[in-house]
Amino acid sequence: MTEPLVKMRGITKRFGGVTALDNVDLDAQAGEVLAIVGDNGAGKSTLIKVLTGVYQATSGEMFLDGQPISFSSHADAIQHGIDAVYQTLALADHLDPAANMFLGNELTKTIMGVTVLDNKRMRTETERVLMERLGVQLKSLDAPTESLSGGQRQAVAIARAVYHDGLRVLVMDEPTAALGPQETARTLKLIKTLKEQGLAVILISHSLDDVFDVSDRIHVQRRGRCVGVVKTKESTTQDVLGLIVGAEEAA
Amino acid sequence: MTTATAPRTLNERLEPYIAIIGPIAMILAVLVFMGIAEPTRYFRTTNLNLILLDAALYMPMAMAMTFVITQRGIDLSIGSIAALSGILMAFLIKQYGFSVYVAVPIAIMLGALMGLINGLIITRLNVPDLIGTLAMDLVYRGFALVLAKGLVLARFPDFLTDIGRGQIPGLVPIPVLIGIATMIAGYLLLTRTYFGRYTIAIGSNPEAAELTGISVNRHKVYAYVLCGACAALAGVMLTGKLNAIQATSAPYFNLHVIAAVVVGGTSLFGGRASMLGSFAGVLLLSMMINALVTLRIEFFWQSVASGVVIVSSVALYAWMQKKDRDGAGGWLAALQTPDGQKMLRFSAALIGVLIALLAIGAAFAVDPTPSG
Repeated sequence: MTEPLVKMRGITKRFGGVTALDNVDLDAQAGEVLAIVGDNGAGKSTLIKVLTGVYQATSGEMFLDGQPISFSSHADAIQHGIDAVYQTLALADHLDPAANMFLGNELTKTIMGVTVLDNKRMRTETERVLMERLGVQLKSLDAPTESLSGGQRQAVAIARAVYHDGLRVLVMDEPTAALGPQETARTLKLIKTLKEQGLAVILISHSLDDVFDVSDRIHVQRRGRCVGVVKTKESTTQDVLGLIVGAEEAA
Repeated sequence: MTTATAPRTLNERLEPYIAIIGPIAMILAVLVFMGIAEPTRYFRTTNLNLILLDAALYMPMAMAMTFVITQRGIDLSIGSIAALSGILMAFLIKQYGFSVYVAVPIAIMLGALMGLINGLIITRLNVPDLIGTLAMDLVYRGFALVLAKGLVLARFPDFLTDIGRGQIPGLVPIPVLIGIATMIAGYLLLTRTYFGRYTIAIGSNPEAAELTGISVNRHKVYAYVLCGACAALAGVMLTGKLNAIQATSAPYFNLHVIAAVVVGGTSLFGGRASMLGSFAGVLLLSMMINALVTLRIEFFWQSVASGVVIVSSVALYAWMQKKDRDGAGGWLAALQTPDGQKMLRFSAALIGVLIALLAIGAAFAVDPTPSG
């Protein structure tokens, strides 16, 4: 097995007296989809928030491509090529897709010494990234983002993350939770597209169907611990469910 | 959620223009009504000039208020900021012999400083906008009263009266040019700059704005500073227009400006901004008030008319934004529901008690004895 792109070792995170993560290891390879599953409160979200710099681990270390890393903020993690698409998508619904895609990272031009937003270039870039990277074409780039479908909104949020050229790891938190079957299929296709482009995709999901459809390996969290990492092809839903609820432990 | 594959409905195509349709329809209504009722006096050049002069005063503030309201904020202190900066400027000119060319920029900077204080109170001390600016309204008004002690400061240099009521021969008044210039600047600020973009993002989804690394608090402070500076500019224009200023000037600026912005289609719930709408809203309110004066309706009805216009336009926007417009089967159907019945009975009881009290009062009424 090659050296993993992301390596987390012995990650422990305590909130006061509560231990949310207890000595967790995680590996993610470039060009693979790693799914993280587990019951509510199993520590999935905390784990990826440590990875994306939103939280700082109480102890443990992380490596990106063999180099030790530590992030003081989410912006720091984005700098290093690790970004996340949140369940809420973090879109401003009243802005158009292009404005959303470049939110916080706008393209500008200078007119007579004054820096102004380059709305035109942001539009063409949005169109290009959506088409080239995600194979998505929006019917209208003028309409506010609130008028898009769930899957299209997802595409805009993902486009925002992949626009950053240095992006290597994309974390997706429950991307299909609020979507219908068709939109879910489209989103899973997006995930496969990203994987083929060599990104390490880390997917958090409650839906085992989606996980088995798209992932290469499954990392199972239970009560703050990693209780197993299985290859998707070599396991069944039953195995994973057993790990999630701790059936084997009890037996 | 609508899918993009569905053909765009009429409503969807109208959506971007909704903000401007409302006030323009009402402006047309005023024009048509006045064209029938009192065409000669209303459409005189001098009267149209009066309308524009009145509207110009509110344009800078409406521009700035559009940003504040789009960020889900509100600024109730602009009237007092206008009065206080006007009075401070008047003192600098009359008592300390400052040149008017320096005193005017100083007044605007003082307004910006007051806006900065508002912004810091809201973002650093976590006082809600409504309470924070309402309280600061009292503070600024109080300072103005303390300073001026009921005096009316009058007779200023020509530069100031030019700002307030000067006229370029054959063209529009200077304050109108200033007002329109600020509206255009506001439009560019809204659509072409980080500040404008982030203003909409903050109002639309504050959490998302925070997550994408936008400094929400800093941009909120910017909006209040802009609002303060524009209020001070309005104070300067008012001083020039009247060639006088006193502590009680500009009493209802805040509500008038908020009304203009809201009538123009900027959403009080944030994220939806319309600079053109604010412009139309300012014009509409000025035209309406002028129409009431032209029709020789008692001054006090202005307040009633403004209130009715605000309620009806906001209700119109709420209705237009409702997705499921005919789902409930309209107004009358709503009365048939159990909840509607209860509401109906409650309202009937309230009115019934009132009528009963009036009847008792009338039955036992005696000859009113003139008092004093």
